[in-house]
Amino acid sequence: MGVHEGAGERMKATISSLITAAENGDESAAEALFPALYTELHRVAKRELARQGAPVSLGVTTLLHEAYLDIAARNGSGPLFPDRARFMGYAARVMRGLIIDHARNRRAQKRGGQFEITSLATDVAENVADDRELTRISQALNELAKTDPGLAEIVDLKFFCGFSFAEIAGMRGVSERTVQRNWEKARIYLHRSIRADLSS
Amino acid sequence: MFALSPDQWQAVSPYLDEALALTEGERASWLASLREQNPELAGHLQVLLEEHRALAQEGFLEQAPVAPPVGPGLAGRQIGAYTLVSSIGQGGMGAVWLAERSDGRFQRRAAVKFLSLALAGRGGEERFKREGSILGRLAHPHIAELLDAGVSPDGQPYLLLEHVEGEHIDQYCDRHRLDVEARVRLFLDVLAAVAHAHANLIVHRDLKPSNVLVRNDGQVKLLDFGIAKLLEEGADAAAATLLTQQAGGVLTPAYAAPEQIAGGLVTTATDVFALGVVLYVLLTGQHPAGSATRSTADLVKAIVDAEPRRLSDVVATADAEGATANSANRATTPDKLQRVLRGDLDTIVAKALKKNPQERYASVTEFADDLRRYLKHEPIAARPDTLRYRAAKFVRRNRTVVALAALVFVASVAGIAGTLIQARTARAQRDFAFRELSRAEAINDLNNYVLSNAAPAGRPFTVSHLLEGAEHIVGRQRGDPTTRAELLISIGRQYTVQDNYEKARRLLEEAYALSRTLPERSTRARASCALGQALSRGGDLARAEALLQEGLSDLPTDSLFVVDRVFCLLRGSEIASNGDHARQALERAQAAEHLLLQSSFHPDSLELDAMIVLAGAYNHAGRRGEASAAYQRAAARLAELGRDDTQMAGTLFNNWGTTLILAGQPLQAERALRHTIEISRDEQGEDFVSPTTLANYASALYQLGRLDSAADYAERAYAKASKVGDNMAISQVLLHRARIYRARGDLAGAGRMLAEVEPRLRSLPAGHIAFGVLASELSLNAQVAGDVSKAMELANQAVAISEASARAGRRSAEYEGNFLVRRSGIELQLARRDQALDDAYRALPLLEQGSVPGSFSSNLGRAYLALGGALQAQGKGNEARAAFRSAAEHLDNTLGPDHPDARSARQLAGLDTQHK
Repeated sequence: MGVHEGAGERMKATISSLITAAENGDESAAEALFPALYTELHRVAKRELARQGAPVSLGVTTLLHEAYLDIAARNGSGPLFPDRARFMGYAARVMRGLIIDHARNRRAQKRGGQFEITSLATDVAENVADDRELTRISQALNELAKTDPGLAEIVDLKFFCGFSFAEIAGMRGVSERTVQRNWEKARIYLHRSIRADLSS
Repeated sequence: MFALSPDQWQAVSPYLDEALALTEGERASWLASLREQNPELAGHLQVLLEEHRALAQEGFLEQAPVAPPVGPGLAGRQIGAYTLVSSIGQGGMGAVWLAERSDGRFQRRAAVKFLSLALAGRGGEERFKREGSILGRLAHPHIAELLDAGVSPDGQPYLLLEHVEGEHIDQYCDRHRLDVEARVRLFLDVLAAVAHAHANLIVHRDLKPSNVLVRNDGQVKLLDFGIAKLLEEGADAAAATLLTQQAGGVLTPAYAAPEQIAGGLVTTATDVFALGVVLYVLLTGQHPAGSATRSTADLVKAIVDAEPRRLSDVVATADAEGATANSANRATTPDKLQRVLRGDLDTIVAKALKKNPQERYASVTEFADDLRRYLKHEPIAARPDTLRYRAAKFVRRNRTVVALAALVFVASVAGIAGTLIQARTARAQRDFAFRELSRAEAINDLNNYVLSNAAPAGRPFTVSHLLEGAEHIVGRQRGDPTTRAELLISIGRQYTVQDNYEKARRLLEEAYALSRTLPERSTRARASCALGQALSRGGDLARAEALLQEGLSDLPTDSLFVVDRVFCLLRGSEIASNGDHARQALERAQAAEHLLLQSSFHPDSLELDAMIVLAGAYNHAGRRGEASAAYQRAAARLAELGRDDTQMAGTLFNNWGTTLILAGQPLQAERALRHTIEISRDEQGEDFVSPTTLANYASALYQLGRLDSAADYAERAYAKASKVGDNMAISQVLLHRARIYRARGDLAGAGRMLAEVEPRLRSLPAGHIAFGVLASELSLNAQVAGDVSKAMELANQAVAISEASARAGRRSAEYEGNFLVRRSGIELQLARRDQALDDAYRALPLLEQGSVPGSFSSNLGRAYLALGGALQAQGKGNEARAAFRSAAEHLDNTLGPDHPDARSARQLAGLDTQHK
């Protein structure tokens, strides 16, 4: 995975202002935001893993938290700084893209007969959802985000990033029940879209 | 099939919110009523909800996609004789990789766990290998084998483990729908593995379902003994803690024992606790610290502080959908699951989950032994918490010196009461306003009142103000008569719960009259039943019962009306209690509980209402052990809901106190009742405490010989009861006052009180136990006045009434027992020694029945005193002393050793030679 060396320092300073600008309707800021976050996540991952005694790999939620803390530390509590929930929303979208890319690569590897995935149960569930399915989910999510961005974000956080209902509820300051209900709604929407897609 | 357009989505979205908040069962009727208004919309929703069911079944979006491995690629790297193949996850300790043996001769797979330990500079390599070799000796068929341990060339320590393909034990059990017995059997394999490790001085420290895998062939395999602390004495301390330091940071709080969180000593008992949590989860599908909604901080607090709920309670009170799913996964129904878990399994798991490690099973083997006994239906070794133990948690012993006493007994006409009015804190007031008036809450007008006008300028408002305001609003309201009737019922019920019967009856009569014109069955039934209950407190039992029947017959058996039916049955149980039909009261309360258990909808307040009424019904039926257990459950539930200083808690403790009085435990009763008074009084005083509570408290004080305070409370109770028109409380207080007067030597005063009681009892049905109580009190007066033959005659009357009551299936045991004890004393005075002995012997089993099994009782103490006296009169000195010794034991423990009765029993038994 290509890590854009050097770009990190410059980007980090601007992510919070990019978020703010994007939310104020600045389209170029919105365009710049995603690559900036992408780079930032890589940078944080690399730094975390380089630390002495660090684990060989990082969980997704850990990574996002670390990235957030990093930006927060840099920005202090300035007025421009986005809150955790907003940050996580954007970062989760980026994560979705990374995961789908990864799934594509894996499929390519499998076709090459390199190895089969075994299901050894560990703390991170392993799964064989293929990239085509993920891509369809992602497209449907983009549609959903147009009418109901909150619902789409829950799917990014929950499904793609592995946040629990409790964590999402905590970020948004709503009850866990509400998050769960919204998740169920989103599942209905997505299931329906994907099925319609397949049958058309 | 079509994807939804944005417009369509926005149209159905709010309805989906509504539907998804309902249970499956409720959705059908919800859809039906929507269909009447908007068939097209209902059709869309039905399709979507069916789709939801289908997607839930296929597990749509339930499995997380594979995250990209962020980090340097390790694939292909050599670890010992193995080559890393792919990352297979992130464990608590570090990354986990799948590896293959690569020497070409045979293929073998292994899992490599990299531990994120900084070993540099500590000579760690050798130490780590040494520890690894100790772990490597841990050969057991149910423990994943440790193949090797070492440090990779770049300084990363690793464990090379047997590669286990399987799933977490809880998921395995659910997927195979294993029933409780099969789960226990599987769990025994886990225990065997842990016991083996313990025998090798290795504590796991991080047992949890994700560390217990079950392979497809059903074999259990425990993982992660890698963070075990080696208990080996004499081992290099640094070496022993190397791994465990690391463990400190990665501990899984959900399965951690209190001592782990508190930084205490970690021992094999720590594993016993974690195993208890695993078994709890396997049996109930829920975590002992409650739902998964909490933050880590709350969870930690719950593990250290909160008593876990019993298994059988948890499966009964889980939300309906969850309960059904959980029990379906256990190949049963919620009801049956509750029954299977109740008793031994409750007790076994509770013992494993004790906060104090020393109270847990001393070893995993003992834990396993009890589970095996359970499977073989043999008695288990663990003992359930006794009432004394549990009650002691809030009822600390009162060692107050008491001044006077007389040989008297407990009698309370009313016994069970609603209580109190004023919650002390602002929080509790809000709690009251928003929760207890839940039906009224729906009405905007009232909400506005509560939120803005009830507490002008932010001053705290009292519940009385609130109710008066609410009444005022209802008085003004024009418009929807159903709303108006519902409001009247709500407010009327509140007054009932506060024992303000006059107001309650007025409002409920109005609600009832209004409801006759309404088509809504629910409102009609609730109005009838609520009014019936209020009338039964005033003694109008015939009309009360008729109203109840009317209410019940108005309700279809439909599940839609379950809540109303439960409400009516609970009111019916109270009506039966007030009419002294203990058996019927219990049947109705049990029927209500049963319905509620089956229902998919349990509002908290109704559930608590049912728990408290059921406890009262057990109490009334003389089943004190069950009553105490039920109060215990209700108190735990209240605490869990954070409602321990609400008026409901006040009611609970009042009723519990009453049970304790009847069971002959006045010291404990005094505590419970004082608690009620504390909850209900405000800064200004006890204006808001219910008259029944005051009367009960007077009774407890009287029994403890604290006559001045008793008289004080009795007078307050009398004034309050008269003010609010609580006839039953008035009669009750008059009896207490008669006793207090007599104990102070004022026979005339006592006579006056009893003369006042007499006409008040006329509304009661013939044969009511209250007549027996009155006769017995009159008998005592005559005895003290020296008119022994009149005393005898009245004592005979009292006994006869209680015998008839027993024959009619009404509560009577402790009354009959106490009447017999009293008569025995009079017989002794008349030198009828045989009869005196006979009556004393007859009294004992009756009073045994009326006390909490296994607990001391002042009633029993007094019966033994009578028995001792009768035996002594027959010259049986040794037997008499044995009886006195029993008396002393009972009285010491229930009245306190300084109570004169306890002292005289000790002297008679020859236990106490010091005369004070």
